[in-house]
Amino acid sequence: MLLAILISNFAGNFLLERFNGVPSEERLHWKTFLVKLGADNLKGARNEELFVSSQKSVYIVYTVLGGVCIYIVGKDEYDELALTEVMFVITSSIKDACGKSPSERLFLDKYGKICLCLDEIVWKGILENTEKDRIKRLIGLKPPNPTEI
Amino acid sequence: MADSSGTTLMDLITADPAPVPAAASTVSSSSASSTTAAASPAATQQQYVSTKTALGEKKSKRAALMQIQNDTISVAKAALNPVRTNIISHQKQKQKKPVSYAQLARSIHELAATSDQKSSQKQLVHHVFPKLAVYNSVDPSLAPSLLMLDQQCEDRTVLRYVYYYLARILADTGSQGLNPGGGIPTPNWDALADIDAVGGVTRADVVPRIVNQLTTEATNTDVEFHARRLQALKALTYAPSSNIEILSRLYEIVFGILDKVGDVPQKRKKGIFGAKGGDKESIIRSNLQYAALSALRRLPLDPGNPAFLHHAVQGISFADPVAVRHSLEIISELAIRDPYAVAMALGKLVAPGGALQDVLHLHDVLARVSLARLCHTISTARSLDERPDIKSQFNSVLYQLLLDPSERVCFEAILCILGKHDNTEKTEERAAGWYRLTREILKLPEAPSNSKDKSQKTRRPQPLIKLVMRRLESSFRSFSRPVLHAAARVVQEMGRSRAAAHALGLQDLDEGAYGNKYDSMDSFDSDMNDSSHPEGIRRTTGVSNAAGGKDTIAGMLASLMEVVRTTVACECVYVRAMVIKGLIWMQSPHESFDELKSIIASELSDPAWPATLLNDILLTLHARFKATPDMAVTLLELARIFATKVPGKIDADVLQLLWKTCLIGAGPDGKHTALEAVTIVLDLPPPQPGSMSGFTSVDRVSASDPKSALALQRLVQAAVWFLGENANYAASEYAWESATPPGTALMMLDADKMVAAASSRNPTLAGALTRLQRCAFSGSWEVRIIAAQALTTVAIRSGEPFRLQIYEFLHALAQGGVQSQLSEMHLSNGEDQGASGTGLGVLITPMIKVLDEMYSAQDDLIKEMRSHDNANKEWKDEELKKLYETHERLLDLVSLFCYVPRAKYLPLGPISAKLIDIYRTRHNISASTGLSDPAVATGISDLVYESKPATTESDTLDDDLVNAWAVNLGDVPAVNRVNEFLAGAGTDAPDVDENIVSRPSVSYDDMWAKTLLESTEMEEDDVRSSGSSSPESTGSVETSISSHFGGMNYPSLFSSRPTTYGASQPSQERSGGSRFNHPSSMHEGYGSPIREEPPPYTSPERYESFENPLAGRGSHSFESKDDDRMSSGNPQFGTALYDFTAGGDDELSLTTGEEVEIEYEVDGWFYVKKKRPGRDGKMAGLVPVLYVSQS
Repeated sequence: MLLAILISNFAGNFLLERFNGVPSEERLHWKTFLVKLGADNLKGARNEELFVSSQKSVYIVYTVLGGVCIYIVGKDEYDELALTEVMFVITSSIKDACGKSPSERLFLDKYGKICLCLDEIVWKGILENTEKDRIKRLIGLKPPNPTEI
Repeated sequence: MADSSGTTLMDLITADPAPVPAAASTVSSSSASSTTAAASPAATQQQYVSTKTALGEKKSKRAALMQIQNDTISVAKAALNPVRTNIISHQKQKQKKPVSYAQLARSIHELAATSDQKSSQKQLVHHVFPKLAVYNSVDPSLAPSLLMLDQQCEDRTVLRYVYYYLARILADTGSQGLNPGGGIPTPNWDALADIDAVGGVTRADVVPRIVNQLTTEATNTDVEFHARRLQALKALTYAPSSNIEILSRLYEIVFGILDKVGDVPQKRKKGIFGAKGGDKESIIRSNLQYAALSALRRLPLDPGNPAFLHHAVQGISFADPVAVRHSLEIISELAIRDPYAVAMALGKLVAPGGALQDVLHLHDVLARVSLARLCHTISTARSLDERPDIKSQFNSVLYQLLLDPSERVCFEAILCILGKHDNTEKTEERAAGWYRLTREILKLPEAPSNSKDKSQKTRRPQPLIKLVMRRLESSFRSFSRPVLHAAARVVQEMGRSRAAAHALGLQDLDEGAYGNKYDSMDSFDSDMNDSSHPEGIRRTTGVSNAAGGKDTIAGMLASLMEVVRTTVACECVYVRAMVIKGLIWMQSPHESFDELKSIIASELSDPAWPATLLNDILLTLHARFKATPDMAVTLLELARIFATKVPGKIDADVLQLLWKTCLIGAGPDGKHTALEAVTIVLDLPPPQPGSMSGFTSVDRVSASDPKSALALQRLVQAAVWFLGENANYAASEYAWESATPPGTALMMLDADKMVAAASSRNPTLAGALTRLQRCAFSGSWEVRIIAAQALTTVAIRSGEPFRLQIYEFLHALAQGGVQSQLSEMHLSNGEDQGASGTGLGVLITPMIKVLDEMYSAQDDLIKEMRSHDNANKEWKDEELKKLYETHERLLDLVSLFCYVPRAKYLPLGPISAKLIDIYRTRHNISASTGLSDPAVATGISDLVYESKPATTESDTLDDDLVNAWAVNLGDVPAVNRVNEFLAGAGTDAPDVDENIVSRPSVSYDDMWAKTLLESTEMEEDDVRSSGSSSPESTGSVETSISSHFGGMNYPSLFSSRPTTYGASQPSQERSGGSRFNHPSSMHEGYGSPIREEPPPYTSPERYESFENPLAGRGSHSFESKDDDRMSSGNPQFGTALYDFTAGGDDELSLTTGEEVEIEYEVDGWFYVKKKRPGRDGKMAGLVPVLYVSQS
C-alpha cells in the first residue's frame, strides 16, 4: 500500500498530500515527521537524489525536485525499491507537466494537471500507470494505448 | 488539523478566476505572504502555521475542526444560496481571499450552464478546476453541475477533471478530511446540508445519480467512447466498498467487459504497440482489458468465486503490462488463501513457453514482484504436497527471478526463498528458507525462448547462495541509498532465517560445507573449484581470508559481511541503522562480537542518529534475543553500549525490559554474567565534560549535554534499582531458602570474616552488594537513595550473612562513622555529604528499624525457645499467638520495603517455621493470608516464590515467572512496543520530539511476556495476540497505534504540566515505579524525601528538535515562527482584534480590544491568558491566531 504521497516546499509547508489508509489522526504526525526528515537531510541535496528512511514496517523515499520536496511513504510490497520506482514515475510526470523541474511557483501553476497525473499514477493506494506517455494520454482523456498513430 | 498545510496553498486560490487569474495565481507562496502581510498581519499569521506546531492532541484537533466548521458554514451556505454570500461574510479573513470555495463553486455552476462555449471551458480548465483541487473534498452540491458538464461538454480536459471530481465525491466518506484528497480542509458537507434545511444537498442525494451516470458510461460499448468508458469505470471504483449495491454493479460491469474481451485469441507479442502498433480493434480490446482488470484489482477479493479467479488468470495473458501486473497481484493474493485452486487455474501458464514465463521478461517491475510472491506461495503450499511437479515448476520460476535485472524483483525472490512473506511466518518456515537458500541450485530450463538472450555461462546450474551473495555484494556497491537500504534489509532477513535454522538445530548442515557440493556436476564455473580451504581460516576474519574460503557458505557469508560492514560508512543513518540490524542478525552466538561492538560504539557517538532509530535497534536486540536466547549476554553487552553512549536518546523502558528478559534468558549459568553486564555501567568512570571528540571506546560513558547527563543519571538509577531487585534472583539466594541459621551469622560479627564468608558463599550477591555499597556512597543523591533502598531489598530477601553485612553497612551509613574511612577508597563527587555523613540518615532509619526489629524478635524467639526447652514446656496458645502476631507484624513491615512471599517468608528466621505452622493449623489460618497483598494479586509473588523448579532451567522457563517479571518491571508500554516490533507492526508516524517519551500504560498485554521465551509453539499466538502483522489486519494495527498515540509527548496544550523537562518525571516514577507502587506503596510515608520531584528542568532545548535547518534558506516567516515558539518562555502580549465566542471548553471568549498574554501557538491557535477573568469566569484558553494581534 502506498500510504502517502506528499509534496512540500522547502519551508516545510505541504502543497499536496495524498493519503491512503492512514487514519486522519495520524496524518499530522506523518507530516511533522517528514518535514523534520526533509529539514535534516535535504539541505544541499542534488536534484532528484533519492533519500531513504524507514520507520517500523513503513518505508519512506524522498527527494528534491526543483523547488519542492517529494515524500512517498509505503509499506508491504511498496518497499524502498518499489517506492523508488514510484518516485521515478512521479518526478518524471511532474517534470513533464511542468516542462522542467518545477519551482514552487511553477508547481502551483500546474497544480491541477499534477493532481490529474497523480490520479493516474496512484489509484486507491496502488501504483497504476508508470509510463510517462501513457499518463499524458490518460489525463487528456485518451485511451492508454493509442488507437491512432 | 490540515489547516496548517492548507493555508500555504492560499495563494494558489487567492487569485480571482475571472479578472486577473494568470498574474495573481503565479505569485509564489513566499511573495504572496509578503504582500498580504502588508495588508493584514493576521493573514501572515495564518500563512505559515507550520505543521510542526500542529499537535496530536485530540482536543486541539477538535477545536481546529470546529473552527473550520464555523468558517466554512458560511462558505457552504454561500455555495447553496449565492445571494446571501455578502451578508454572511462577517469574518475579516474572508475579505482577504478573492476566491473562496464558494466562488469557485459558483463559477462551476455558472460555467456548467455555458459549457458549450470555448471561453467557459478555458475558464474551467485553467482556473476553476485546478483551484478546486486544492480543497480536501468536494461539496456534493457541485455534483449536478459536474454531471451536466459530463453530459454536455465535449472538451476532453474538462471531462477528465469532471471524472476526477466525481470520483472524489464518491470517495468521500462523509467526514471531513478523511478522503485522500489532501489540501485545505473542508467541513462535513452532509452535516452542513442538514443544518441548512432549505436547499441542502447531501452525498446520499447525489451518489445514486453519479453512479447511474457512470454506470451508463461504463457499459457504453461505442468504440469512440471507450476512453471515457475507462475513466467512468475508474471513477466508479472510488465508491466506498461498503455499498453492496454499487459493488455488485461494479462486479457486473467488470465481468461483463472481461467476458467480451477477456479471451485472448492469439499469444501476446511483445512490442505489439510499439511504433508500428497493432490493429485498432485489438488495441481497444487491450485498453478495455486493462480498465477492467484495474477495476477488478480495486474491488474486494472474492476468493470462493471461480469466475473471479478465471478472469484474474485470464489477465496474465493480456497485452497491457499494467493489466498483467494487476492480474498477478490479484492471483498472488488469492493464492495465499487457496493455493490449490490457483495452481489448478494457472495450469499450463507456468510451463515453459507459458504466459507466466513471459512475465519474466515483462518490463513491469511490480508484475515480476507479484510473480515471485505467487511462485513462493504455491511452491510452499501444503495443499499441493501431492503435486511436486507443479511445485517445482513454480519453484524454478522463482529461482529464475534471482537473475532479474531489477533489484526489487531479485530481493523479493531472495526474501521469498528465505521464507519471509509477511511477519507471520513461523520459525520452521524461516529455517526451511535458510536451508533452501544454502542447498538449492538454479537450473535454467532449456526453453528455446531463453536461448538467444542468455549467455552460455548463466545457464549453468548455480547454487542459489552463490547467486544471492554475488548479487548482494554488487548491490552494496551501489550509490543509491534505497538500494543499500534494501540490500541491508535482505541481509537482516537472511540473518533471521539463519537464526531460525540455528534455533531448530539445522546448523549442523553446517556453513562450513561447501556451497558447491554438486561438484559431481561437470558444468561448474572454474572459480568454484579452485580453492577449498577449511573453514578454520575464515574464522580468523579479515579481508584476506574472505577470498580464501570463498566457496564455503561460511566463506561467502564472511566476504558478504565484510562488504556489509563497509556500508556503515554510508552517510545516511537509516542505511547505517539497517546495516547494524543486519549485523546484529548475522552475528552468530559463537563468534566474537568485538567488531560489532566497536561498530556500534563508534556509530552511537555520531550525534546524527535520531532517537527513534536507536530505539529501533534496541528493539532489534529484543527480537534477536527472542530468536536466540543463547545470545543473552552478548546482547546485554551491546545494550550496555546504548546505555552508556546515548542515554538521552534511548527508551529506558525498552532497555530495562531487555535487561530483564536477557537476565532470565541467560539461564542459571549466565545469570551472573548477565547481571554483571547490566551493572558494569555502575563501574564506569563518570562522563567527562567535553570528551566527545571522537572518543569511541566502549568503556566510556558519553554524556555531552545536560540532557543526556540527566538521562544517564536516570539510567544509573535504573541500573541500581535493577541490581537491588534482581540480585537475589541472579544469585539464587533467598532468605527463606537459606541453609544458614541466623544464629551462625550473629556469631561472626567480625566484619572482615563476614565479607569473606559471604563472597565465598555467593560471589554474585557479594559482588552486587559491593557495587550497591559503593553507589550508596559515591553516587549523586538520587543514586544513593536508590542504592540504599536496593540494599534494604537485598537485606530483606537474603539470608545470612548477607543481611547482617548490609545491616552493618546501613548502620554505618546512617551514622556516617565509616564514611571517613571508605570515602578515600572511592571517588567523591565533590558534593557536601552533610552532617550525617551521607545525608541518607532520614531515609535509612526506618530501614534499620525494620532490620533491628527483626533481629531483636529473632533474639527473643531464641530466648523463649531455650526457656521452653530448658523447662521442657509445651508452647501455650497465647504464646504462640503472640509469636504469630509478631511474625505478621514484621511481615507487614517488611512488605513495605519490598516484595517477599508472605507464605514462605519468615522474618523470625527458619526456626520459627515450625511454631508458626502449629499455630496456623490450630487456628485454621491459611498461609496465603497475604492475598490482599497487591504483589500476590498481580502475580509478582511468583517471581521470587520459587515454588516452580522450572525457573532454574533456561529452556523450560516458567511462563508465570516471565510474566511476573514483566509485571514487576511495571512498564507495560515497553512490552507493547517490543511486542509490536516483533510482530512487525507499525505504520504509525514516529514521534518527532527527541525527548524520550513515556506513554501511559494502556492495557496489559501479557501474551508477549508469556511467549517471550517460548521457542516456537507459541509464536503463532504471539503474532495473533498483537494481531498486526498480516496486511489484511491493518485495522488492528491501527488500534494498537491509536493507543500508542494516546500518550504522545507532543507538547501538550492541555496538560497541566508546564514545560518542565518532560521525560524526567515519568521515568523517575518508572525507574522506581513498581517499587513504590506495588508492595511498598506506603514507602512514601517512611522516606518522604525520596518522593521529592527532581528540580524542574526547564530545558532550553525543549524545541531543539523542531529546529529547521532549512529555515534560513527558506522563508523568513518560517523563522519567525520558530522564534514565536522559542519565546514561549518570555511572555508575549496581544490584543483581541474581534469578538470571539468560545466554541468549546478549551476555548476562550474574547472581547475586541481585550489584552491577553500569549502563552504559545499551536496549529492556528493561540493559547492565551487574560489579565482578569472574562464574563464566563475563564482566564485562559485557545483563541484563533487571527483574532489576536501580537504586540
